[in-house]
Amino acid sequence: MTHAIFALPRPAPSVLPGFGLTMGLTLTWLSLIILIPLAGVFITSAGLGWTEFWRLASDARTVAALKLSFGTALIAAGLNVAFGLLVAWVLVRYSFPGKRLLDAAIDLPFALPTAVAGLAFTALYAPNGWLGSFLVPLGLKVAFTPLGIVVALVFIGLPFVVRTVQPVLADFDKELEEASATLGATRFQTIRRIVLPTLMPPLLTGFALAFARGVGEYGSVIFIAGNIPYVSEIAPLLIVIRLEEFNYAGATAVAAVMLVISFALLFVINLLQAWNRRRIGFAG
Amino acid sequence: MRGYQNEDAIHRAPVRIDVEELGKSYGSFAALNNVSLTVRPGELLALLGPSGSGKTTLLRAIAGLTATEEGTIRFDGEDATTLSLRARRVGFVFQQYALFRHMTVFDNVAFGLRVRPRGERPRAGEIARRVRRLLELVQLPGLETRFPSQLSGGQRQRVALARALAIEPNVLLLDEPFGALDAKVRKELRRWLREIHTETGLTTIFVTHDQEEALELADRVVIMRDGEIEQIGTPVEIYEEPATPYVCEFLGGVARFEVTATEGEARVLGSQLPLAEADETYSGPALAYVRGHEIEIVSRDIAEGVPALVRNVRPFGPAITVELSIEGHRDRIEISVPRELFEGGEIRIGQGVFVRATSARVFPSPKADARP
Repeated sequence: MTHAIFALPRPAPSVLPGFGLTMGLTLTWLSLIILIPLAGVFITSAGLGWTEFWRLASDARTVAALKLSFGTALIAAGLNVAFGLLVAWVLVRYSFPGKRLLDAAIDLPFALPTAVAGLAFTALYAPNGWLGSFLVPLGLKVAFTPLGIVVALVFIGLPFVVRTVQPVLADFDKELEEASATLGATRFQTIRRIVLPTLMPPLLTGFALAFARGVGEYGSVIFIAGNIPYVSEIAPLLIVIRLEEFNYAGATAVAAVMLVISFALLFVINLLQAWNRRRIGFAG
Repeated sequence: MRGYQNEDAIHRAPVRIDVEELGKSYGSFAALNNVSLTVRPGELLALLGPSGSGKTTLLRAIAGLTATEEGTIRFDGEDATTLSLRARRVGFVFQQYALFRHMTVFDNVAFGLRVRPRGERPRAGEIARRVRRLLELVQLPGLETRFPSQLSGGQRQRVALARALAIEPNVLLLDEPFGALDAKVRKELRRWLREIHTETGLTTIFVTHDQEEALELADRVVIMRDGEIEQIGTPVEIYEEPATPYVCEFLGGVARFEVTATEGEARVLGSQLPLAEADETYSGPALAYVRGHEIEIVSRDIAEGVPALVRNVRPFGPAITVELSIEGHRDRIEISVPRELFEGGEIRIGQGVFVRATSARVFPSPKADARP
């Protein structure tokens, strides 16, 4: 009988049954939603041939757009780590009137159509806008520059850091800070040596999420960026431009490069997380 | 300044702590109400009381972790009330240990030395030497590179203690030091804490709700209730002469009888017994507390004392434990009787006997408006 030949060795019954079924469903679902579409990107770009792909990917305009997208996303995620931590700290540690309102407002960048945010920022920072009319005479141009992109991405990414840090900070054992203080540590030493190390995992996660969101952000950026090629044109916009030119191969080439870089960066962040966990004595 | 660089600084003169009229309230709830207390240099003192009695608040106030509204705390006569935590130099062991999870045992113990201002900080080699010595003191050598998550409860407790001792504290304060451990480890660590106390000679205060622990371990015991001190004394004093009905009941192992006192005496279980000296002329309702070993079986037949019924007999151990229902008393009472009585066939389950109190602590009944 053939099935005897192909039969897999039967694993010992597990305490948690249903591994086969759940794993199968998970893989099917992930394939449909993530893996197959992404594979499509690579297959299409593979049709170009290596030299053609490399020509498109190393095109000066593409490189400028990629540098801009990843650079601004990294800067914005970094800023969000600093200020998101501050916001989470204030929301968790202090009570003040309007706290719940402020807490709810943190999620607005999630809910707002990003184009609306982009329009609002453009109106604010344009040379004749409320803020722009003060900043531009000072030599600080925000709208239609990479700086404007960073501002939009900080807005988009803030909730990721706040919402990942908040629960960890709320669970933080006050006695650890008290222990540190009785041992003679100053407030600054306590925060740097006791509180921040505990917040590293959520901060890294928040950074990764804000960064990933920033790289892919489109709606809010294209309004404030001005979209000047080589200066303030982001990679997702370049993809759209190539698509509008019916240059599908060019579009997928940019997309494939973005995918590879994003995956590499997120992979490194995950390695950092695992290293951090192992460092403090937890299994993998 | 108590020598920072002194290598055996742990053996410096122990500190006296004076707590003067300390008061602290949370809203309308008085956590501490006019508490005064002197802790003698080098003493091992227990703060004993049920939860909510203010014992932990008092300990935290002495450490400087809880700010108080009234009163003064002095270390060797110097006002410490407004001193910073760093300046107080109090070794504090938290109930849940509060170990730093992201640091190894070594780094946890070294923490207090490493955060010192540059001028007072020992060099790395000196820190390593001290940490190793402390880990030997708490009997954990060789665990320097472990993380707290890799230790047992008892080991964590020891690390927490070593960490507190590393700063060469003026006093050592422990909040429910054995609260989170199982019974066997508790017993072991109790003896060990006593040894550490002898070795360091530090003035030490620990908080507990376990009367056995307090009486067994401490030089003196402070019994607290509703933010006030109910009684201070050596374990013998507390056990032999409880000052109030509350102390009697908190220590447990007693039977309570409502009796009537006449001219400073009351009839308790067939015996005429005196009230405390302060109440020698008191007449009126009174409460009598009798411990199990203070009840004796008089006889089976002669009607002397109070009738009782044998409910259960546990005939093992050096003395026989007998469970009695005494007439006019709701709860069953356990008493010890000599083995001969049992072997003579006097005591059997279901047997009626007469019992008598040999001694008792009798207090005037608290007024109706006072606390029970």
